[in-house]
Amino acid sequence: MKLPTRPITILIAALGGEGGGVLTDWIVSAASSAGLPVQSTSIPGVAQRTGATTYYIEVLPAAWAELDGAEPVLALSPGAGDVDIVLASELLEAGRALANGFVTDDRTLVVASSHRDYAIAEKMAMGDGRYDSSRLLEAIAQHANASLIFDMKAIARETGAMINAVMLGALFASNRLPIAYEAFTTAIRAAGKAAEANIRGFEAGLETAERLSAAPVIDEPAKRAQPATRRLLALETQAAELFPPQAAATVIDGMRRLFRYQSRAYAKLYVERLKPIAEADRAARADGLLLRETARHLAVRMSYEDVIRVAAAKIAPSRIRRIERDMGAKRGEPVRIVEYLSPGLEETSQVMPVWLARRLLAAAEKRAWLRKLHFAMELNTTSFFGYFRLWTLAKLRPMRPITYRYKEEQRAIEEWLALIAQAATHSAALAFEIAECARLLKGYGDTLSRGRSNYALIETRVVRPALAKEIPPSAACDAIASARTAALVDPDGNGLADCLAAIERQNALSFAAE
Amino acid sequence: MERSFKQEVEALRLGAGDIFQGEGILAVTKALLQSGVSYVGGYQGAPVSHLMDVMVQARDLLAELGVHVEACTNEAAAAAMLGASLNYPLRGAVTWKSVVGTNVASDALSNLASPGVVGGALIVIGEDYGEGASIIQERSHAFAMKSSIWLLDPRPHLPTIVRMVEMGFELSEASHSLVMLELRIRACHMTGRFAAKTNRRGYYSTVERITEPARFDYAKISHPPGTFMQERLKVEERLPAAQAFIVANKLNEIMPGEIDDIGIIVLGGLAHGVLRALARLRLADLFGHTRVPIYVLNVAYPLAVEELRSFCAGKRAVLVVEEGYPDYIEQAVTVELRRADLNTRVFGKGPLPKAGEYTSDVMLRGIAAFLSETRPPGVAVEPIEARARGIAAHKAEVAAISDLPTRPPTFCTGCPERPVFAALKLVEREIGRTHVSADIGCHSFATMLPFNIGNSILGYGMSLASAAAVAPNFDKRTIAIMGDGGFWHNGLVSGVAGNLFNKGDGVLIIMQNGYTSATGQQYMPSSPAGRDGAPPGMDIATTLRTVGVTWLRTLRSYGVAPMAATLKEAMTSDERGLKVIIADGECQLVRQRRVRADDAHRLERGARVMRTRFGVDDEICTGDHSCIRLSGCPSLTVKPNPDPLRTDPVATVVESCVGCGLCGEVAHAAVLCPSFYRAELVKNASAWDRLRHGLTRSFIRVLGGRDRASAA
Repeated sequence: MKLPTRPITILIAALGGEGGGVLTDWIVSAASSAGLPVQSTSIPGVAQRTGATTYYIEVLPAAWAELDGAEPVLALSPGAGDVDIVLASELLEAGRALANGFVTDDRTLVVASSHRDYAIAEKMAMGDGRYDSSRLLEAIAQHANASLIFDMKAIARETGAMINAVMLGALFASNRLPIAYEAFTTAIRAAGKAAEANIRGFEAGLETAERLSAAPVIDEPAKRAQPATRRLLALETQAAELFPPQAAATVIDGMRRLFRYQSRAYAKLYVERLKPIAEADRAARADGLLLRETARHLAVRMSYEDVIRVAAAKIAPSRIRRIERDMGAKRGEPVRIVEYLSPGLEETSQVMPVWLARRLLAAAEKRAWLRKLHFAMELNTTSFFGYFRLWTLAKLRPMRPITYRYKEEQRAIEEWLALIAQAATHSAALAFEIAECARLLKGYGDTLSRGRSNYALIETRVVRPALAKEIPPSAACDAIASARTAALVDPDGNGLADCLAAIERQNALSFAAE
Repeated sequence: MERSFKQEVEALRLGAGDIFQGEGILAVTKALLQSGVSYVGGYQGAPVSHLMDVMVQARDLLAELGVHVEACTNEAAAAAMLGASLNYPLRGAVTWKSVVGTNVASDALSNLASPGVVGGALIVIGEDYGEGASIIQERSHAFAMKSSIWLLDPRPHLPTIVRMVEMGFELSEASHSLVMLELRIRACHMTGRFAAKTNRRGYYSTVERITEPARFDYAKISHPPGTFMQERLKVEERLPAAQAFIVANKLNEIMPGEIDDIGIIVLGGLAHGVLRALARLRLADLFGHTRVPIYVLNVAYPLAVEELRSFCAGKRAVLVVEEGYPDYIEQAVTVELRRADLNTRVFGKGPLPKAGEYTSDVMLRGIAAFLSETRPPGVAVEPIEARARGIAAHKAEVAAISDLPTRPPTFCTGCPERPVFAALKLVEREIGRTHVSADIGCHSFATMLPFNIGNSILGYGMSLASAAAVAPNFDKRTIAIMGDGGFWHNGLVSGVAGNLFNKGDGVLIIMQNGYTSATGQQYMPSSPAGRDGAPPGMDIATTLRTVGVTWLRTLRSYGVAPMAATLKEAMTSDERGLKVIIADGECQLVRQRRVRADDAHRLERGARVMRTRFGVDDEICTGDHSCIRLSGCPSLTVKPNPDPLRTDPVATVVESCVGCGLCGEVAHAAVLCPSFYRAELVKNASAWDRLRHGLTRSFIRVLGGRDRASAA
């Protein structure tokens, strides 16, 4: 027979500690048992500690017996244009193999799990730092010869297998290796540990890969919509008539949220507040989008996080059921839930009447207590006293409208809405950017005060000048958007300070030019 | 230890007629036993850790063979062990990660290379160079040249590697010199097979001991007047003896080819890369038949000069393929050709880059550039150039997604070292940042996101010493961080004793996790248990007190608030002098291996087992992620926001959580949001557990009412 001219080459891209070595061993042992010359290598090192790492395998498509004593020379590193299969246990790592040049349309099959295991830079961003998966999928579609991409992690979870077993099943399904089914299953069994679960994973990976149609689909997990309530029926019908269809669903979701948060009257206040925005939206021909986004942010802002809301959320029966399910608790198995709370003066004063809160905060400010006085507590929600304490706090809900925080929030909300309405008379886009600034206002304690001061900076140094036409309209939208992004880049506020300075410099220049 | 090598230990017993299958570094281990070593030592480090790990686990076999194994406390100790071969006909081998380990060992190496050896002495070095390397990028080659140590660099092919180990001992004995065998990362982890031989017992061993001490001989002492004579011996006798041995035993390989007006000279370890690049350019086949002649240097130092000249004679040009800089071989080849008045042009760095690993594509482009420059008759250069251009073009095309976030290694889930850095971050917020000197070990991951803590890393156990001149010139106390591995490797003497001796100031944090964890959890002097199960019996705190440290605190590493308070106290206390904080917490990988097995066992027996995991309430989490910025735990990540009105992803704890408690500690110490909770599930609950559970749940049901609040 004619000797093969090149080996089949496999590049495995994995995360350290995930068992990429096991997958490599399975492939090597399956190839060996099929009598094929095979060589693997790896560069684990410290990358074993959860870093990105690779394994590389070369298999000859002819058995030792057919080689007539010739010995193949196998290489230790992959080459661009010479990788037949990229096996990736996670989507970003498939992208990394591609970015390193190892996926080419003349030969490379990409077998990858579509799930994401976020890198630290993606996780730690203050807003949304996630890399856009669709860019990865597009690049794979563009450069790969073929691909098998599905959520292998989910299958691994269902079958109790390692993700590697699912990947091996998909690899077998691809038919690119001259190795029989039994050789793979024998390799898994020989490894011993959790063999039966891994065989199940292998089978499931194989079946899914065979059923897979052309393009991978990544399902966003379903959003948890607010359940309907009879008490809002009339109000909802009214809203559906009042607001354009692009925005109505969001408005209704917001109403239900605020009804549960406070009362029917509060939900009604929400609708009233949106009416001028709907008007502005129509006038600016924003097609309902300005209204929808404002409605979304408004509902979130009006249901701000105070101790009443936190307590209510913590004791919700549905939450306790969810945690029991996540823990895999069987019926009757005790589950204890312990909360980590550290309420301080700020949180306490929020639920006090205005006059009391003002005095307390002023006194605290004088003595620099605000940041220091916190009562770190571990509270057992599933005990009598723990539950009862949270329950009592949650029962304060009807009192909320007389609290300090409530008054503060409503005032800030009114100001923000006024800015949006005013901006809409200039352009819908400008109003939209101002509405989006609500993203900065979230959280508790330090996070909240940082967000508030960032918002205030952007309002006084960009938004107000823009409305006063001190910033040319053409530049105003970009300026707000970039300041907002900068505020979400680093917690120290250096990014925002630099960005604001740049905007003001730019502004001075462009006015000088005019 | 991180891995059990039960199967590998069995493979060490194979005899003549058996086929050994396995990793490169384990083939080396087997080859040592086939060569009749009497002792083996070393210090762990990727990529050669497995050699020591297997030896340590192969106690019974080694006792039968009479081989003494020593887990040395550093590479200098390992190198000094080779002193056994100076006076006695004992074969021995030591191993470490290079270039760093060779740096540490160099004192003993120089002093041993000078008098030379009578028993074969082999140093197996893991050349940690290129992708996957964790250290500075330098060549160990320099040590070989300066100390007259012969450097083997075998082709990545197990039979060749094994032969080079065996030949290495003979070469060492024939030339009375030390021999190094270098294996790059990928070669250490490469799988393959070779025909085994039966293990041999050494001439002397722990079962047949030496009875008479060596005769006194000035020539064996690296001290004047011996040293002057030894210098002459190295270059006038041992070098020629080595060169003669290399040629007579054909340690280097010549692969002939018909395009013989050019040639390639390549280090053994890179030879398969060259053959593959030629195959990709259709100038070689898959079975090692090449059209371009290749001279494979399985011996990187010294060059067999006559062999080299005869390979080059008649060639217009040769390409020297060696990784890294300086280009020692290219220089030597140029000089030796000039001395013989040969006019062959020497290419090397130029077509090939001066820095970086010679991956398949780098080799292909280098060889293409060499061919394009020399245009040998019979070679169509255009398609070769097109192939090289194609690779470059493809890499430019995929640059569209070159903005991928990196994924550096980090602390494992539940690591006891992470909370210390969370505490350090919190202290920084209060008293400002200070100079932090970092060290080698898992804790160096703190230099990466999300902590970015550490201003320098100057070697293993060197953090405190590297702050010696920063501290007196800095207006705050400086902090040095060291692992327990680093402490015993070098830190006790270079750092602590040096600081006390010079009446220094400053803060030293010692991460006491019980093992050298970054290299695979090997035992060290203060491990809770040693390789035979009993504790080695050394203790860091006692040692520190004995040498005179007065300000010493030992804290559980997971307590973020107490750690922050202690750190602050150390930073601001009026008391001058070294302040040491021992952050005590067992390596979580080791702990989990034990706990999981215990729990599984208890579950089977029907005993009560509690499972703890942390969680985040997604409706309370606002997606700011400050918890992640203070932790970076792999099990603490983000997920799409389930709230239809919010877009920023929320924090979530995934199944791999081991319930170490850091999330809660950080939530408290940093006053984060109230979304963290700890859930405890009791398996095989007792009657009391069930009763209490039943009563509280009834109470909750009574108060619970409608499920209204969860929706808000």
